[in-house]
Amino acid sequence: MDETVALTLVVNGRERSISVSARESLADLLRERFSLTGTHLGCEQGVCGACTVLLDDLPVRACLTLAASCEGCEVVTIEGLQGPDVERLRGHFRTQGGLQCGFCTPGMLVSAYDVVRRRESPTRDEICAAMSGNICRCTGYNGIVRAIQLANDEALDADNADPVAATTHD
Amino acid sequence: MKPAAFSYHRATSADSAVALLAELGEDAKVIAGGQSLLPIMNMRLAEPAHLVDLAGADDLRDWQESDGDVTLGAMSTHGMIEDGLVPDPCNGLLQHAASGIGYRAIRNRGTIGGSLSHADSSAEWPTVLSACDAAAVIRSVAGTREVPLSDFFFGFFSTALQLDEVLVAVRIPRFAPDRVWGFVKTNRKLGEFAESLAVVTYRRVEDAVVSPRVWLGAARDVPVRLAGVEALLSDDGPDAPPVQAVRDVILTELEQDWDAMDPGERHMAQLHAVTVRNAIKHAQEVHHG
Repeated sequence: MDETVALTLVVNGRERSISVSARESLADLLRERFSLTGTHLGCEQGVCGACTVLLDDLPVRACLTLAASCEGCEVVTIEGLQGPDVERLRGHFRTQGGLQCGFCTPGMLVSAYDVVRRRESPTRDEICAAMSGNICRCTGYNGIVRAIQLANDEALDADNADPVAATTHD
Repeated sequence: MKPAAFSYHRATSADSAVALLAELGEDAKVIAGGQSLLPIMNMRLAEPAHLVDLAGADDLRDWQESDGDVTLGAMSTHGMIEDGLVPDPCNGLLQHAASGIGYRAIRNRGTIGGSLSHADSSAEWPTVLSACDAAAVIRSVAGTREVPLSDFFFGFFSTALQLDEVLVAVRIPRFAPDRVWGFVKTNRKLGEFAESLAVVTYRRVEDAVVSPRVWLGAARDVPVRLAGVEALLSDDGPDAPPVQAVRDVILTELEQDWDAMDPGERHMAQLHAVTVRNAIKHAQEVHHG
């Protein structure tokens, strides 16, 4: 018998109170109960990265996070991910051929956002290492890495051009 | 790939966690991040009746410092260690090791206490913290005890933890300022578990090696201390010994006979020897601290 757990959390800025099954993953909660189907489930064992979301501002695997563990937490999914860095990434993923079938893309964007927002100057190898937990079965890695490099360069340039705005970006 | 049904219990502190375990009896499992436990449960290799979740036990994220050591709460994540949000008493070794565990999304949830309790010798913390002479701080409703990691690991997924006990913290002695370290993980893809994992630390006193520690992970069910390699370093100094000398020690330590081994086993023995040798080189090349 499935036991239920009362849960209150914030999803994409909106507070939600819901009764979840004890064994329900955060990914299933998002997809099945909130219809946020942008979070994709590939392997459900933490290997593919397609289900990566932000939990209290940190990327986590939604398939390896129990919904019941998220009491009081703030979740941002691909549907709620926004801001200048995300727009830069979306643009460059489009122009660089950073997505083909699109299955891995939501997780790729969340992980890529976590790279770009650090405002470091990662080398190509460092970007590859940071993205190594996200698998693209179309093997479109070159376009993905190029898109992240370009978005990162653009973010650094924008900060240099407008240092005041840089301190207040998302 | 969904876990079997279980009852969920949310611990709000270390005390509430041990009280829950005392009440729930033998078919309860503690979840401390769940980055190893949940895959196993999703594959139905583990089907606990009760899950006691430490995610809300904020006191298990505390840390304490004294002159001699640092005690990290069990729920310190690999990411917190990687980012230097908690002190590293081992001259940067812990930060370095943490940064290679899984992927960033895994490191944001996986914890040091969860990893030790899970007791997979191909993971980082069992071998690294054994090499640091760390101890597990273990609590039950009956009280708190401390077990050196050298006595903590019994076998695959098997530890000194009793059914009603929680690993609440790990106490790590401070390295002397002149203690250097080397760390090498051999695997095929970044973020995977190790095929071999070696940690070397010693005090570098001029050209001499003082109080070396050499530990090997992923070679058997528990991390292995390579006292024979430590003796080579003490006798001959910090230069890396030949691979074959290291391999001989490993074979002795693992009670293996080269002549009786098949090519696959020989390959693994060679891999471990090269990994240990490279960790010795790493300790020598990098001037830490």
